Amino acid sequence: MNVPEHLRYSTDHEWVRVDDTRVRIGITDYAQDALGDVVYLDVPEVGAEVAAGAKLSEVESTKSVSDIYAPVAGRIVEVNEDLGEHPERLNEDPYGEGWICVIEVSDPAEVAALMDSAAYRDLTES
Amino acid sequence: MTDRRSPLDDRHRALDAKMVPFGGWDMPLSYPSGTLAEHRSCRDAAVVFDVSHLGTVRVEGDGALEVLQRTLTNDLAKVAPGRAQYTHLLDPDDASVVDDIIVWWVDEHRFDVMPNASNTDGVTAALGTHDGVTAADVTATRAVLAVQGPDARAKLATVWSEAADVGRFRVATLEWRGVPATVAGTGYTGEDGVEVAVPAEVAGDLWDELMAAGVVPAGLGARDTLRLEAGLPLHGHELGPGITPLQAGLGWVVSWDKGDFRGRVALAAEKDAGPTRRLRGLATEGRRPPRADATVHHAGRQVGVVTSGNFSPVLGHGIALALLSPEVTEGDEVTVAQRGSELAGRVVPTPFVSPPGR
Repeated sequence: MNVPEHLRYSTDHEWVRVDDTRVRIGITDYAQDALGDVVYLDVPEVGAEVAAGAKLSEVESTKSVSDIYAPVAGRIVEVNEDLGEHPERLNEDPYGEGWICVIEVSDPAEVAALMDSAAYRDLTES
Repeated sequence: MTDRRSPLDDRHRALDAKMVPFGGWDMPLSYPSGTLAEHRSCRDAAVVFDVSHLGTVRVEGDGALEVLQRTLTNDLAKVAPGRAQYTHLLDPDDASVVDDIIVWWVDEHRFDVMPNASNTDGVTAALGTHDGVTAADVTATRAVLAVQGPDARAKLATVWSEAADVGRFRVATLEWRGVPATVAGTGYTGEDGVEVAVPAEVAGDLWDELMAAGVVPAGLGARDTLRLEAGLPLHGHELGPGITPLQAGLGWVVSWDKGDFRGRVALAAEKDAGPTRRLRGLATEGRRPPRADATVHHAGRQVGVVTSGNFSPVLGHGIALALLSPEVTEGDEVTVAQRGSELAGRVVPTPFVSPPGR
């Protein structure tokens, strides 16, 4: 599994890329592999306030539907609209073109509490 | 209990397939290319599924034909030795479909009856209690490979030309590398192709040659999306407890003029009264898949439930099979409700996708 070192990770298999007070969010390589071929993503709405651990979106693969959770609390300031037509990017490029949204973080301590790549790798290999 | 493993288990693992439990077996869900790519390969080229988990119940003896005629719904007199027929085993009390089955009529007094994996014991029991007839579960002795797609026969022909020549719904006893095998022009994808049953010990060699010939391995995920596009029922979804052949729109599987068969009285009563629901196809807007158990609404009230649904890779939108009130007909607008969201849809004819010229 690909687990980039410069990202942080949630126990729900989301990745977070920190950029000052904002974080970019997606699902991990492990998550996309477990889901199988993604055919639909319920793209979140810009402006929505989300709580840490709350449902952010739903993703559907050919085999099942799964929830995606907000790894940190904040306000959604940007979303990847292209995923509406091209949800397969979650499989093809989960850390790049498959990004889901950007959140303006309300509590930086929540970001600091996320796992680093070594801890996340341990989680997925345990 | 440990799940059973196919004779091709090592091949699937060597290809890094995702394995899942299915009907008491550990079978490939998909290979690394993924379900959607496997689906498209079957519509555009040629794939092979390991369907060794399907049962083979070998029914033999002078009275075998009569036992099958009295037990199953379809009429084998419409066909002959060397043919395959789709048929149902019904519950004697309420005519619900205990299993849907393909019968390979191999020769005059030998029938290879192919139930769904989890129903093999029940079908063996239903067929095996008659004088002069034996019904033996021979599933463990063989592997079954389904080679499907517009290029299936051409690619198979480079490996085993006689098998590639077995026509649609024909059954042939052949040899592969000196080993006896049975080949039928059947499948579950809506595409042309054949299914081959070979002794378990040679299955890996045949699989390897099919791979070398450019046939793409496909798993249960693609098998499900393909059969759904083809409008084909899956036992446990469109057929099963409480669902009769008439409700499933499969009245053609029932032969009323061949005499008595298991479940006939109960099914005749439903036929006279008229079925209270009917299996229909739904096309929904957008990519979001409708899912089994979602409710279906029309003109402000619930009219049924989805039995299977998914994204159609060929059509690019959601499709579903649903059991609906009989007054809801093709062209009607419906709403599918699931997990707090609603999908707009329409009742459409099945199959959703047909190969050219079929």
